[in-house]
Amino acid sequence: MMVPELGEIFELKAELNSDKKEKKKEAVKKVIASMTVGKDVSALFPDVVNCMQTDNLELKKLVYLYLMNYAKSQPDMAIMAVNTFVKDCEDPNPLIRALAVRTMGCIRVDKITEYLCEPLRKCLKDEDPYVRKTAAVCVAKLHDINAQLVEDQGFLDTLKDLISDSNPMVVANAVAALSEIAESHPSSNLLDLNPQSINKLLTALNECTEWGQIFILDCLANYTPKDDREAQSICERVTPRLSHANSAVVLSAVKVLMKFMEMLSKDLDYYGTLLKKLAPPLVTLLSAEPELQYVALRNINLIVQKRPEILKHEMKVFFVKYNDPIYVKLEKLDIMIRLASQANIAQVLAELKEYATEVDVDFVRKAVRAIGRCAIKVEQSAERCVSTLLDLIQTKVNYVVQEAIVVIKDIFRKYPNKYESVIATLCENLDSLDEPEARAAMIWIVGEYAERIDNADELLESFLEGFHDESTQVQLQLLTAIVKLFLKKPTETQELVQQVLSLATQDSDNPDLRDRGYIYWRLLSTDPVAAKEVVLAEKPLISEETDLIEPTLLDELICYIGTLASVYHKPPSAFVEGGRGVVHKSLPPRTASSESTESPETAPAGAPSGEQPDVIPAQGDLLGDLLNLDLGPPVSGPPLATSSVQMGAVDLLGGGLDSLIGGPNFVTPPAATVPANLGAPMGSGLSDLFDLTSGVGTLSGSYVAPKAIWLPAMKAKGLEILGTFTRQVGSISMDLQLTNKALQVMTDFAIQFNRNSFGLAPAAPLQVHAPLSPNQTVEISLPLNTVGSVMKMEPLNNLQVAVKNNIDVFYFSTLYPLHILFVEDGKMDRQIFLATWKDIPNENEAQFQIRDCPLNAEAVSSRLQSSNIFTVAKRNVEGQDMLYQSLKLTNGIWVLAELRIQPGNPNFMLSLKCRAPEVSQHVYQAYETILKN
Amino acid sequence: MISQFFILSSKGDPLIYKDFRGDSGGRDVAELFYRKLTGLPGEESPVVMHHDDRHFIHIRHSGLYLVATTSENISPFSLLELLSRLATLLGDYCGSLGEGTISRNVALVYELLDEVLDYGYVQTTSTEMLRNFIQTEAVVSKPFSLFDLSSVGLFGAETQQSKVAPSSAASRPVLSSRSDQSQKNEVFLDVVERLSVLIASNGSLLKVDVQGEIRLKSFLPSGSEMRIGLTEEFCVGKSELRGYGPGIRVDEVSFHSSVQLDEFESHRILRLQPPQGELTVMRYQLSDDLPSPLPFRLFPSVQWDRGSGRLQVYLKLRCDLPPKSLSQELSSPEQKAELWDGALRWDLPRVQGGSQLSGLFQMEVPGLPGPPGQGHSTSAPPLGLGPASLSFELPRHTCSGLQVRFLRLAFRHCSNANPHKWVRHLSHSDAYVIRI
Repeated sequence: MMVPELGEIFELKAELNSDKKEKKKEAVKKVIASMTVGKDVSALFPDVVNCMQTDNLELKKLVYLYLMNYAKSQPDMAIMAVNTFVKDCEDPNPLIRALAVRTMGCIRVDKITEYLCEPLRKCLKDEDPYVRKTAAVCVAKLHDINAQLVEDQGFLDTLKDLISDSNPMVVANAVAALSEIAESHPSSNLLDLNPQSINKLLTALNECTEWGQIFILDCLANYTPKDDREAQSICERVTPRLSHANSAVVLSAVKVLMKFMEMLSKDLDYYGTLLKKLAPPLVTLLSAEPELQYVALRNINLIVQKRPEILKHEMKVFFVKYNDPIYVKLEKLDIMIRLASQANIAQVLAELKEYATEVDVDFVRKAVRAIGRCAIKVEQSAERCVSTLLDLIQTKVNYVVQEAIVVIKDIFRKYPNKYESVIATLCENLDSLDEPEARAAMIWIVGEYAERIDNADELLESFLEGFHDESTQVQLQLLTAIVKLFLKKPTETQELVQQVLSLATQDSDNPDLRDRGYIYWRLLSTDPVAAKEVVLAEKPLISEETDLIEPTLLDELICYIGTLASVYHKPPSAFVEGGRGVVHKSLPPRTASSESTESPETAPAGAPSGEQPDVIPAQGDLLGDLLNLDLGPPVSGPPLATSSVQMGAVDLLGGGLDSLIGGPNFVTPPAATVPANLGAPMGSGLSDLFDLTSGVGTLSGSYVAPKAIWLPAMKAKGLEILGTFTRQVGSISMDLQLTNKALQVMTDFAIQFNRNSFGLAPAAPLQVHAPLSPNQTVEISLPLNTVGSVMKMEPLNNLQVAVKNNIDVFYFSTLYPLHILFVEDGKMDRQIFLATWKDIPNENEAQFQIRDCPLNAEAVSSRLQSSNIFTVAKRNVEGQDMLYQSLKLTNGIWVLAELRIQPGNPNFMLSLKCRAPEVSQHVYQAYETILKN
Repeated sequence: MISQFFILSSKGDPLIYKDFRGDSGGRDVAELFYRKLTGLPGEESPVVMHHDDRHFIHIRHSGLYLVATTSENISPFSLLELLSRLATLLGDYCGSLGEGTISRNVALVYELLDEVLDYGYVQTTSTEMLRNFIQTEAVVSKPFSLFDLSSVGLFGAETQQSKVAPSSAASRPVLSSRSDQSQKNEVFLDVVERLSVLIASNGSLLKVDVQGEIRLKSFLPSGSEMRIGLTEEFCVGKSELRGYGPGIRVDEVSFHSSVQLDEFESHRILRLQPPQGELTVMRYQLSDDLPSPLPFRLFPSVQWDRGSGRLQVYLKLRCDLPPKSLSQELSSPEQKAELWDGALRWDLPRVQGGSQLSGLFQMEVPGLPGPPGQGHSTSAPPLGLGPASLSFELPRHTCSGLQVRFLRLAFRHCSNANPHKWVRHLSHSDAYVIRI
């Protein structure tokens, strides 16, 4: 910070103490200007505060401005101003009353809060709406400084009353303040949304400013209507917002509509009307400034994936303009592909071909890729795409050719034995390929069609010369291609295959390459027939559409339309800090009003299955459901009115399950979808095919601890529970062993989890098929998922469980090993690993020692890999083996590790780096468990 | 909720820094933003950036960066809208948005920010409403005077209906100079259209669209009523029919919320009581069906001599506007052609309606790849030649044909001076592309 010259301060001091108002005013302005450019003018605090007692509003505002900035660093001085604040809160001029209460809230000094309460209470009931709306926001400010105080003083109730205020500005601010407070207290019942309060909000919606409308619409989006009729009536009242000039209002309205539409039957006339109304506002956004366009396009990308029918006729508006910024162009390109269909493919291809001749290299590459994606998506167009690509190859523009070859490889995968006639043209360009991806693609093509290419051996041999200078991708591909060639034309290529095998196994220090080489070698030498079956096996089909967002995530993101999450395409939990706003949202299941009254059991589960497989029930709210005995659609929002984190399971779960036993209509929660992370996507390329490092290990599953007693019989009226956790091929389950040690038969088992750090929740009901007779034992595997509600637990891996049977409800808690949360695609790219390691600050690094582990580096690496801890790289430094490893948790947190192993020393050093350092301790424990068992 | 707002100069120096929620990382945040922005790789979007838990959203306006940060999952649309409103507001209050005006009016800007945003919640962005609260007066570098203008007649001669105001006349604070009432009686009405055209290499028109808006900047006292009469043949939608001719047709129209439309159906008159300051009265768009011919046609032909690597580009430009519609003083335009950033640029200061210009450009491009199989042919154009793009401005012309028939002010007692009304029509190119 710059320090102003002493003379300057002195001069200002004199002016501030001047008798003339004008001079004072100018002086304060000067002080503020110095403050802005970063000069430290805190020394003038007392002099500025002295100017506060004035009846000149302009001067007063200036002084308040200064105070806000410096009060935090000078809390004792700030107290000097308190009396004036309190006095100003009583001023006859409403502007001054509001100014005082606004400024006091901004002074984040603990001491000031006790003086704030009385004035705030008065201002909340002020006759002037300007004062009331300012006071409403002040409650949120005070809550942030001292939440307890706000509750004790009863400000929350006053705030709730303000929702019914006659002035729409006041309503809007009250809604905004309550929404924010409610977010930090997920369990409180602050914003009690019911048909009556919704009605009030909808009325205020028509009257308040555009900014207020945004608060209200966002608040509406959190409500779940009780049936389709209510959903429709809300939609009808929200639809007019779509023509608002403010794009934020439009998008918030789109969010509400997209969410509530989920509840409407597709046969309804209104559904069709609504779909038609959604297109024009989205199209209009594309004529805005590029910044808005970009944000709009990111949202449209989601909408198009969820409901392509909305924009299917609007292809033209996504055509790229010459002067669009590159980031807008790329987004448009992506949406064009998503909308491509048989009907419009000719138009799209003509566009793409034009784009491929533009100047911008990045854009041209993406355009060429897009042509390939069209071919794969719209089968009828494949032939045209291929001929377009050939035209482009003829341009001989280096990067165009390379990109075209990469996508032609994918087309070959998708339509085998159809377009091989073009291979000759491709081969002409062999020499110009200098990018690894293009070289690898070309080599793959040569190997795959070796029998049709007369000089395949020569071509491959030419690559072999510089084998050691090639990137790993190319080396691996070359090895496989030559082995394929050998299997197809064994007589002429024996020498070649030996050459490549020896290069791979003896002269390379890349373990992936060596391993693959050895496997081929052994296969070929022991059983050539088997080798043929393995190496020339039929390949799995590549997926129709690439880059699709996974359906559960898509559904969640649809709930976040018009927010940052929709721009990043990540759930907010991935980028918003800590506790706030990490409650998972999900779309409401479709519920018809008639159904829900007649047969409540079928309502939640019935709708989704048939015609619309991608509707997911709201798993996150199951607990809330069960406890509220609400047999209708799940209620979104906090389950119970308990707020504090420390409360044990007993409190949280109390009452709810008890009452369930009596209820005759106990409904099992709807079946959940399969967990999200089912291994890496196959489409990503050939290298996966034989890439043993990422293939074999995952099949065996993670380490499973022996079952331990979780609930002793004496504590649970005769029910004994032993259990453990497993993770296999991407699914987590809880293996339970239930023993009836009582004298009576046990029936009606059910299980619930309390909210926990990683959102673990049962993915299916607990199914005990027959009643459990005395002394009988059953083994049950309960599938789990990680889309439940999230709350940070202490310790982090603590899981509180409630089990009920016909006798009672029992509670226990257990610690789950963290490695069940390590996902299969946790292998980080080397470059990214390196960059991420550097990027994470050093204070996030934690060091641990793993003692008495007898394994060597190889064994350590493979054992860890079977539990989804992947070795990204290995180095040998001064006789020590350094393993660089990565793993990813189900919620997307990456952990990077450096494991140092000294041959002969059974103690390893483990350094962990993670953006969420609190998990490190548990990751270390996982390492211990995996390595020592 | 917005955590911070700041304004940076084009070089990244903070001019204004305001923290709303006390969760800041201090002023270093502004520096962090600038570092991130300048270090961004080419194809990544700078619109929304994040560093740890802090998300930056910014716009560029008049060379300044207006930046908002947040740490929560809020609507980027509302932030972008807010930033552009703030740009307008600051322009209204300080005269124009620029490094100089901002640093002269620091206290005013902070006062505005305090009223616009409370604890990061937007309260209001209406110039009118804010007038009730703002106390500080703008500091203007030089008092404005109409007689001071050097560039009257910017667009050439005057026509009968519309006088022409210099564009700088509109750049002074709306709310300053409470003392001198006489200069307040001015109102500017601009019909501005952006034209996007895409013409295929065979000359067929692939896409046309026009984005139009009617913008108003009023210095009149608030609440004075005005009526804007549009072309009577103005039709909205494909089916509507008005008048006897082909009509002026647009696909979609939206109006500012303060516009009253009771006379719109019958007489195409917009009635409004605008607040002081700027507002967009009406927006419209029209695609595919243009009533008049395109203003420009470009006929390119390219010849390439593979042997010598010489590329000949022959461009013929025809202006299809009526001869009188553009500036009359075109004698010998000072043309300029240069190679710049991988493209050929041809600058023409003025083009007369109905005229035709042509240019022949020769370039030596040895390495350019040609079409295959025609190794020795000399005439075929090389592949990989990008499109031609035109950018231009057409004063006193709207592509849709929409005109403002009249602008009438209904006066209340207070003001006696005859107000100046400036009505301007302007079309300019957005993306006018001819593929070769």
